Amino acid sequence: MFYRQAAIRHTSYDQTKKLYPIPFDKWLVVAVLLVALLAPFMMSGLYLNSYLLPWVIWSTAALSLNLLMGYAGQIHLGYAAVMAIGAYSSVHAMRLGVPFEFALILGGATAMIIGVGFGFTALRVKGLYLAISTLAVQYLVDWVLTHVPAIGGGTQATLQTPTPALLGFEITTDIGRYYLAFGWCALVTIFMLNVKRTGLGRALIAVREKDYAASVLGVNSYYYKLIAFAVSSFFGGVTGAILAFTFFGAVTPEQYSIDISIQILAMVVVGGLGSVLGSFFGAGFILLAPLFLNNMVTGMAEAYDFGVSRSILSHIPLILYGGLIMLFLLFEPLGLAKIYDNIRKYFLVWPFGFSRR
Amino acid sequence: MNISKSAEPPKLLSCEQIDRSFGGLKALNGVSLSVSRGEIFGLVGPNGSGKTTMVNAITGFYPPDAGKVIFNGRDITGIKPYLIARLGVARTFQNLALFKGMSVLDNILLGRHVHMKPGVLSTALYWWMARKEEVANRQFVEEIIDFLQLQSARDEPVETIPIGLQKRVELARALVAEPTFLILDEPMAGMNQEEKEYMARFILDARDEMGVTVFLIEHHMDVVTGICDRMIALSYGEMLAEGSPKEVITHPRVIEAYLGGSH
Ligand SMILES: Nc1ncnc2c1ncn2[C@@H]1O[C@H](COP(=O)(O)OP(=O)(O)OP(=O)(O)O)[C@@H](O)[C@H]1O
Ligand SMILES: [Mg+2]
Repeated sequence: MFYRQAAIRHTSYDQTKKLYPIPFDKWLVVAVLLVALLAPFMMSGLYLNSYLLPWVIWSTAALSLNLLMGYAGQIHLGYAAVMAIGAYSSVHAMRLGVPFEFALILGGATAMIIGVGFGFTALRVKGLYLAISTLAVQYLVDWVLTHVPAIGGGTQATLQTPTPALLGFEITTDIGRYYLAFGWCALVTIFMLNVKRTGLGRALIAVREKDYAASVLGVNSYYYKLIAFAVSSFFGGVTGAILAFTFFGAVTPEQYSIDISIQILAMVVVGGLGSVLGSFFGAGFILLAPLFLNNMVTGMAEAYDFGVSRSILSHIPLILYGGLIMLFLLFEPLGLAKIYDNIRKYFLVWPFGFSRR
Repeated sequence: MNISKSAEPPKLLSCEQIDRSFGGLKALNGVSLSVSRGEIFGLVGPNGSGKTTMVNAITGFYPPDAGKVIFNGRDITGIKPYLIARLGVARTFQNLALFKGMSVLDNILLGRHVHMKPGVLSTALYWWMARKEEVANRQFVEEIIDFLQLQSARDEPVETIPIGLQKRVELARALVAEPTFLILDEPMAGMNQEEKEYMARFILDARDEMGVTVFLIEHHMDVVTGICDRMIALSYGEMLAEGSPKEVITHPRVIEAYLGGSH
């Protein structure tokens, strides 16, 4: 079979910490990477822009939120607002003449500062109250974007994004924009993979699982929760900017509305809390599911000749996300990643089904 | 590591007149005790006598209402638990407090937290920064794993191994922090005779080989009298007796508390 642990003999502690100790896993990753890198040359611009690019961007967003939700165990119901802060800040910065690279970092930093400032207060409350106060951020940002013309650009306004440029090279093609999003996604992915195997990840999980037990080990739980808020907000801010620059080409409040927050939440939960791979699964699943369902409903409406109003159609995705979040929380709290893992482990121990690993 | 100064405090830990109430209940009432370096100090008492509360008062979980906790010559009364941990105090819990979902190894590695500097940058630049630290600390953890004979459980999810082993993992997690002071809250609860003997051996070895001072709460009198140098007995938050194990368990008030009490 493909998966075999036999003949893998670690001779140093360093080797045991490899990201992919099993050769088949490693080659799988290499293959996926190759496909992702060559994809722009193998598919039409339409597919690239409407499927692959959003998938890459939303996976990055899900990964970023997963650090906060999966590792630190802190729910965030207004993550789209964090992305909005990053997007608007970097667009404004670029319009003021800041080079693209710095504008991105500035966007992330602004999101981080607001995120942390907010986390300071939010972390004093727990559970439901934290959830509600993250929701408050969403409404606050929404309000500012629609009511403060200097930031939102005035009513009904769309702020066009300036052309991004890396090291002086302007990025004007679909392929260039895809690689930009892909590069950022790769950085965030690598960070998240590393979190898994360092003291940072262990401390975050410890704080999530039992904060009193973490504290006797010298872990300052408040500090680590803040770190999670800060890094997650920074990543979210940059991802929000990348979304604006590579996908929409503009920023509007609707791009970062509460619906979008729920959508990212669904990606994280459906994909799997704390899982890197799961974030990719979740993002893909949540992006594609409404398309399928919409087609199905319109198809059925035509076949059985009943009318479906546009407003119902537009609400289908939200109903679907809510349902999926509940179903997964009830039946597979670790999401699609867990389902994949079960299958992988089945092959790993095949034919000894009684063995767990 | 501990360079002795001219005026080294004679006692590693001293608690003076500790009071702690929960609502109307006086869980601790004027308890004083002191532990010297390198000894195994026992704390006994019937159920609900305030033993765990005493540990919580020392480690900062339930700061005392009145009284002082002096550790290593420093007043640590009311300091946050994570700061007390960084001063070299480690503890285990009466009801295990391991991190479910993590492997035995990762649980023990967390004990090294006080010696590591996990951060965002070192994680981002794993290959250049965190890696060396991770490997070095893994090495130390493996020594403790050998010491406590946990090799076969190393990669198991911690919640899947038997309770007796889990208690040992918690001891390992406390020991890898290289504490000066180790508090064990009923480390042998629910163990059979053989497991108890192993645990007693580990505690003695930890003291003798690692120089750890041990504060031991235990219900098994045979163990306590067997390995403790000195001990005290509590009942309803009051101190009954203090001294050598023999003196304490033969003290009339202690006998009365145990016979007349819930035990
Ligand atoms: N957090 C708390 N809130 C209220 N009462 C508490 C709390 N913790 C302990 N108590 C009470 O304080 C008293 C002492 O409890 P403690 O846990 O210290 O006893 P113990 O000696 O450790 O007992 P055991 O042998 O059962 O572990 C008990 O009456 C208990 O009910
Ligand atoms: Mg107790």
